Amino acid sequence: MRVTNALIYEGAQAQVAAARDRAFQAQQKVTDGVRVVHPGDDPAAASMMVTHQMAIDRLATIDKTVSSASDELQTADGALQSVSTLLARARDLSVQLGNDTYSASERANGAAEIRGISAQIVQVMNTQIGGRYIFGGNVDRTPPFDVSGNYQGDTATRQVEVAPGLLQNSSVRADQIIKGVGGGVDILGNLGAIANALASNDGATARGALDTLQSGVDQVAAGLAQTGTLMDGMANAQSVSAAATDAVKKALSAESEVDIFDASSQLAAAQQGLEATLTVTAKSFQYSLLDFLK
Amino acid sequence: MADLFALLVQSGNSLGAHSAALATAGNNIANANTPGYTRQTVELVANPASGVTGPLAVGRGVSIGVITQARDAFVERQVPQTLAAGGRSQAESDALQAMSALDPALPGGLSSTVSQFYTSLRTLSQNPGDVGLRQNVLSTSANLAQSFNQTAATIEDTRNGIDSKIQGDLNVINSTARNLADLNGRIQQTSAAGGDVNDLLDARRTAADTLARLTGSTPYTNEAGDTLMALPGGLALVTGNSASQLSALPDATNGSHLRLLVTKADGSGPSALPTAFMGGEVGGLLDARDGALKTAANAVDGLAFDLGTSLNTLHAAGYAMDGTTGRALFTLPTTSAGAASQIAVNPIVAADPKLLAAATTLPAASGDNRNILAMIATEAQTLAGGNDPVATLQKITGDFGTSSATATATAAHDSAMVTHLTDLRNSSAGVSIDEEMINLTKAQTAYQAVSKVITTANSMLMTLMSIGTTTG
Repeated sequence: MRVTNALIYEGAQAQVAAARDRAFQAQQKVTDGVRVVHPGDDPAAASMMVTHQMAIDRLATIDKTVSSASDELQTADGALQSVSTLLARARDLSVQLGNDTYSASERANGAAEIRGISAQIVQVMNTQIGGRYIFGGNVDRTPPFDVSGNYQGDTATRQVEVAPGLLQNSSVRADQIIKGVGGGVDILGNLGAIANALASNDGATARGALDTLQSGVDQVAAGLAQTGTLMDGMANAQSVSAAATDAVKKALSAESEVDIFDASSQLAAAQQGLEATLTVTAKSFQYSLLDFLK
Repeated sequence: MADLFALLVQSGNSLGAHSAALATAGNNIANANTPGYTRQTVELVANPASGVTGPLAVGRGVSIGVITQARDAFVERQVPQTLAAGGRSQAESDALQAMSALDPALPGGLSSTVSQFYTSLRTLSQNPGDVGLRQNVLSTSANLAQSFNQTAATIEDTRNGIDSKIQGDLNVINSTARNLADLNGRIQQTSAAGGDVNDLLDARRTAADTLARLTGSTPYTNEAGDTLMALPGGLALVTGNSASQLSALPDATNGSHLRLLVTKADGSGPSALPTAFMGGEVGGLLDARDGALKTAANAVDGLAFDLGTSLNTLHAAGYAMDGTTGRALFTLPTTSAGAASQIAVNPIVAADPKLLAAATTLPAASGDNRNILAMIATEAQTLAGGNDPVATLQKITGDFGTSSATATATAAHDSAMVTHLTDLRNSSAGVSIDEEMINLTKAQTAYQAVSKVITTANSMLMTLMSIGTTTG
């Protein structure tokens, strides 16, 4: 091939520019650590980065809301445990004072205590967490039970997303557990009836209400079983989402981040290439007939 | 018999030929770096003997035959179409590379704001009565709308930038085409008058290359030796001594972006120039503007419209904290055209977080999150466009990325071809200083030798003159 000046110098321009560009790109990769900036850098990776980043955000948020729902369920669980304990005391009292060996004044004291237990149950059921009343269904800004023990909430069961697209209950029906809506027993009503009977020294009525009281105890136990199951579900959801998050994070890292060792060795190669190009270019300029013709 | 006087005259002519060779070498050296310069060679021709034939005939020295240019016709024919292809793919590649609104990790980009919107909905779902969390949803909604606005604006800016570039290129095309037509005329005149047209030929070839690169037009030579330029599809850009002129006007059917018009060499027009009739750099710019960028703009509009409509339907069916219903969450135009640039949060809802419709039934209890859950579910539901929001975003990014990557790869390939052919052309037509130094030395030595012949002939003449004269 006939090598002309234009070939030498334009060729040198192009080669040096290309070598500098390669070195620059390699340097950018090492310092930024980012593999894909523009979608054209790697279209498949870029599109997956979009999906994966959104998945990570989604899983992280679900984890937080599940955690918060889990706290609510724990609080509910604790409250129902307290109710259970209180009812046990009420039952013992009622069984005892139902016996006609007790005097009217002893029965009257018992009645007062039972009314006190009823009030405490109302207080426990009006528990809040995070600014919400948790036993009112969707009515979470006003107490679910009034002082007389009437239910003020609604019949909704709250739900939370435990996995993308998957909902789970995050509350239990206090109207069913405490007031017996839907075929159960009205625990508060029942306690009131027992207290009234004892206050009027009516042992027969008091004894007659004991079965209902026991049903109430079972009702609360069933409620506790519900909260237990829901809490397990939340815990499972959290560990699944943690594993899923790890997997997606790994995938995102592979797509978007530079392998630092690979990038460093490419930078070294590019810099060596630049040095070689510059050396050869300089040398090729040295040879001209002009230098030898005297 | 050789005539000494004739020998002197002939040697003088030969000196002229060798100094012309020297001058040509000097011209080549001076123009070694001139872009588009084709090296010139002197053809020396021996003068035959005149009037005398037979074994005693002696030639009459050397004269210049012609000064030719070293052109390789085969390479020359391939260069314009390679320049055209290279110009086209490079223009498209550069235009697409410059648009960064769809970068996957862009802070505040579409995928980030869509994600944050759904995050705020999910957080609200756990405590829908909390006014602070409601306000947060309205903030992320506003950010989402703004992100759509900005993405649409950036794509539009890129398309407008391309229009400016096209306008600039059209100006260059028009002046170069006129220049080429003018050169055709001058070359004809000059060669008819017997003058040297080599520099004009170089200028004409450079003009033809420029037009090929900018418009994808192909040069042809007619019988008269003129260079004609024909656009892809056959429309004449330069015909002999006249040139067509290109212009552009906003096209209302394409968002007021430029469409091309041609005023033909015979004065007719301006008439519409179909896009298929334009290649080269302008063709590449149009490919980018009305191809990948337009597709991306339409897809972003589609997503804004479909997602906004889907959320609006759910929101309007739900109940605010005060039990009112029927409000949209976003304001949208009636069709998807321009939806991304116009989408905004409904100002009535934006002003009062309690008007965010979180409940699905009356009375709208403060803890009723069912409409929020329904809105969250839209993240995985198929929109009118055929994919769910995440898959749509993925597709927009992937499609744009593929177009850009393809253009870049094509540009790299075409650029290599251009370099290869330009190298071949430089190899045959370029100046090698080493070669010219040798030619210089060759001419110098020949000149010196002929001078010696003159000196010798002169001294022989002197000897002749001095016969018959005596000194002393």
